[in-house]
Amino acid sequence: MASADLLLSCRGVALTFGRGPTAVVAVHGADLDVRSGDRLAVVGPSGSGKSSLLHLLAGLERPTGGTIARPGLGGPRDIGLVFQADSLIPALDVTENAALPLVLAGRPQEETRRPVAEALDVVGAAGLADRLPDEISGGQAQRVAVARVLAQAPRLILADEPTGRLDHATGARVLDALLAAADRTGAALVVTTHDPSVAARLTVRRSMRDGRLLAPAPETAEAPTPRGSPS
Amino acid sequence: MITAWARGLTRHRIGRLLAAVTGIALAVALIAALGSFLTASKATMTQRAVRSVSVDWQVEVQPGADPNAAGSLVRSAPGTRTALPVGLARTTGFTATVGGSTQTTGPGVALGLPADYRSHFPDELRTLSGSGTGILLAQQTASNLHAAPGDTIGIRLPGAGLRQVQVDGVVDLPQADSLFQKVGAPAQSQPTAPPDNVVLLPAARFASLTRGATDVTTQIHVARDAKLPADPAAAFTSVTGAAHNLEARSAGTVLVGNNLGAALDSARQDALYAQILFLFLGVPGAVLAAALTVAVASAGGERRRREQGLLRLRGLRPRQIIALAGLEAALVGVVGGLAGLGLAALTGRLAFGATSFGANAGTWALWYAVAFVLGVTVAAGAVLVPALRDLRTVTVADTRREQRVSRSPWWLRYGLDFALLIGSWLVFRASSGNQYALVLAPEGVPSVSVSYWAFLSPALLWLGAALLLWRLTLLALAHGRPALARLARPLTKTLATTTAAVLSRRRRPLARSVVLLALAVSFAISTAVFNSTYRQQSEVDARLTNGADVTVTQPPGAQVPPSAAGKLKVSGVRHVEPLQHRYAYVGADLQDLYGVRPANVAKATSLQDAYFSGGTAGQLMRRLAQRPDNLLVSAETVHDFQLSPGDTVNLRIQDARTRALRTVPFHYAGIVKEFPTAPKDSFFVANAAYVAKATGSNAVGAFLLDTGGAHQQQIAAHLRKQLRTGATVTDLTQTRGIVGTSLTSVDLAGLTRIELGFAVLLAAGAGGLVLALGLAERRRTFAIATVLGARSGQLRGMVLTEALLLATGGLTGGALIGWALSEMLVKVLTGVFDPPPASLSVPGGYLALTAGATVAAVLAAALNGIRSAGRPAVEELRDL
Repeated sequence: MASADLLLSCRGVALTFGRGPTAVVAVHGADLDVRSGDRLAVVGPSGSGKSSLLHLLAGLERPTGGTIARPGLGGPRDIGLVFQADSLIPALDVTENAALPLVLAGRPQEETRRPVAEALDVVGAAGLADRLPDEISGGQAQRVAVARVLAQAPRLILADEPTGRLDHATGARVLDALLAAADRTGAALVVTTHDPSVAARLTVRRSMRDGRLLAPAPETAEAPTPRGSPS
Repeated sequence: MITAWARGLTRHRIGRLLAAVTGIALAVALIAALGSFLTASKATMTQRAVRSVSVDWQVEVQPGADPNAAGSLVRSAPGTRTALPVGLARTTGFTATVGGSTQTTGPGVALGLPADYRSHFPDELRTLSGSGTGILLAQQTASNLHAAPGDTIGIRLPGAGLRQVQVDGVVDLPQADSLFQKVGAPAQSQPTAPPDNVVLLPAARFASLTRGATDVTTQIHVARDAKLPADPAAAFTSVTGAAHNLEARSAGTVLVGNNLGAALDSARQDALYAQILFLFLGVPGAVLAAALTVAVASAGGERRRREQGLLRLRGLRPRQIIALAGLEAALVGVVGGLAGLGLAALTGRLAFGATSFGANAGTWALWYAVAFVLGVTVAAGAVLVPALRDLRTVTVADTRREQRVSRSPWWLRYGLDFALLIGSWLVFRASSGNQYALVLAPEGVPSVSVSYWAFLSPALLWLGAALLLWRLTLLALAHGRPALARLARPLTKTLATTTAAVLSRRRRPLARSVVLLALAVSFAISTAVFNSTYRQQSEVDARLTNGADVTVTQPPGAQVPPSAAGKLKVSGVRHVEPLQHRYAYVGADLQDLYGVRPANVAKATSLQDAYFSGGTAGQLMRRLAQRPDNLLVSAETVHDFQLSPGDTVNLRIQDARTRALRTVPFHYAGIVKEFPTAPKDSFFVANAAYVAKATGSNAVGAFLLDTGGAHQQQIAAHLRKQLRTGATVTDLTQTRGIVGTSLTSVDLAGLTRIELGFAVLLAAGAGGLVLALGLAERRRTFAIATVLGARSGQLRGMVLTEALLLATGGLTGGALIGWALSEMLVKVLTGVFDPPPASLSVPGGYLALTAGATVAAVLAAALNGIRSAGRPAVEELRDL
């Protein structure tokens, strides 16, 4: 997998909530480059600023300091997002949820059927197509969220604690789906996690402590074998 | 913990709390305002009944009893202010020779009045011409005898022969019915009309004239000043009890004719009607406000369930969770209740100038307390009960997912809506059997009661129609997704199918919102239509009594030709229509006869089809024009004389040339029930030209003036100045104030001002609040959509589609339910209307205001929802 194209570049990025003595610094001068095909894990405990950093990368938050450049990304639609949980729209079924980014991008409903069906197949959720979010489990809902990203075919996938609320086995299946989606679309993948076993499955790991993004850890020789397959 | 929770609620759930508080405030304010108003109305009815009676009691001294002793007994009775003896002698007739012609009347009555009678009972007599003291003739007697002040008449008294007296004046006896009542006789045994021939004599003259007469009795006329309870029913009981007490103490020497009791009896029936109106028009509003609160509370149900699940996970005991839910309920109930009382007080001050609505302190305080308690109860039902139910039936795992009910509600499965509608129709049909008599006053039973059974049909219709609308909305949303997508396309473009899917899946809350809005709109419509129809009929009643915008009535016996109309056509008068007035005998029955110009009469007065039977107003006037000897008669006359259309009816009418009665043949052509200026009982309407030809006189009884509904008072004043005492000028504004029953004296407009104001608020609240809360609860959905690339225009399209669907469904459903309810209400409340309406009056302006306020509230809620959706999505997604 080539990692030549620079998709996103952060320099000295900071995010501060509030002002004065009560201000909280969530991200403190982060430097980060993300290139096509990257598999990056941002690891850190709760409250270390991982989610805030991810929101900055996704463009959901405006940095209060530093700059973020997205030279390899055409626009917000080139970024696919996966959240910790409950990111499906309750009134839409699995297929409609997975098709939503495409529909929002202006694709006619009929044209979304094929990519959505394929995406659901990839994440092992083809059998859930007509179900509503409250009729499926948390793990299945996360895989549908991954399928939604896959159908969107973005250049960058940002996943915020995608396994955080799942048990180990289910989390592994969701991560498998996420990696499969990234591989299939050739997208870069950035995952925030506090779970070292999740981080271990990605090629690059950056730690965060108290809002600071630490220097990259040495690259692992080989990614561990997946512990489960999609159900 | 309680304090922290309360702080959290007010800080983070302020919107939901305020919405619930608003619902409670509306319910409390409506109940407090209407309850206080009802109590004040009843007091007004009592006061008006008391004012309407000139002589409170007519105490008849029984044969053989000493009038002086009876007088002393009456004067000593508690509550007596004035007691004056009045002599009453039956006469066999009166005679008068005027202008060489001698007139003789049938039996009559001579009254002997003390000198100070008029000062103590000023409303009993009204001077029409001549002196106000001395020998006074009643108007009709003067007309029968062709006598005027200065003429001499003869009174035939059994046992005393013929006595001659000189007439000093002509008077009207406004309260003749009660004045000449048969004291002690039940209502059904009372004479149908007061005597036609009456002469009033000073007491001393009466005594000298009736010396030796055989049929002479004494009555003691009483004015009372006892303090009466405010409620007409209680006042009636009090007055009746006092009258019975006097009779008992007199040991049979007197009988009490209780005029005050009779007036209060009528007022207590009207009070019951007022109570019915309160129930019919007020209770639905309060129920609606309560339903709004429940809907508002349930709009936040999902969130509350999640919060409850979290609290349970954190180890809170059920009792503590209930305490927290109780805190929210208490907060909503107490704050909403107090706000509602404030709103009620403000309504009272703005609409009636007093916080108490005119009710006494104890009563309005009681109503305010009742309303507050009800508000707190509704709050507990809306907030605490669902929390208790969830605690008992829902697991923590359940609380973390959206509640999804796949099964249809039980009422839908069992067809409750159809059952209610069928029940409503059956009850309505059954009520029509007794002419929708709501207030029952059975003969021989001293108390009046309300047939609450009749309430059932509109109540069932309201509920049944609401449930049917719910069913239809659910069906349309569930099966009409392609149509929804087509409708949504202009606003949502490529998102149309997704929008339709969302609307279809959210059909339950959406249908509930549509039904709630429809109920509020139907409440506004039915109240407004009822009120408008009531005002229309009050206006018709006033117009019927007065005859036209301005009416110039000629004095009895005046020979004014139709050409005199020209002098009355002053500035502002569009048309002057002469109306003949004669008396005519049919058999032995004397009735009023009105001669009209069939082609022109409608130019000055309104003739509604409801006034006639056997044809429309236009058709019957055409019949009079086509065949001049055609005659319209009252239904009673048709019944009494067994008339069929085309039958000859011979009337005896006075011939102006000979002054004698002559027989004039007419043909029965239709039934007239009401006619401008005509009395409530039997009368005739004929072609004026034919009457003039047959009687040799075209003298006009009254001129009806059309002023185009404007400047009536000014024109009447101008004509009074112009005509001086030559004629009586009355205008519609003046008559409006006189004709009202005690029910109209309550001024339904007061009740309506309260209700219509609240109806607009409820409609706007039902549309706006529920939508706003529904959108607020879905902020997360909008945030997800935004993160996934939704532009603000796309979100706006989705929200506006939902808002328009809600507004269209609610307003259309509400209009249909409101129309059906109005038709039924006006039928069921027939007894309130006099005369019954021929058609409903629809107040377009108010309904447009309600629709406008509703649409504005829905759009405001939608725009606010869009604004909230436009907030940085990450703020909503922090907890994802």
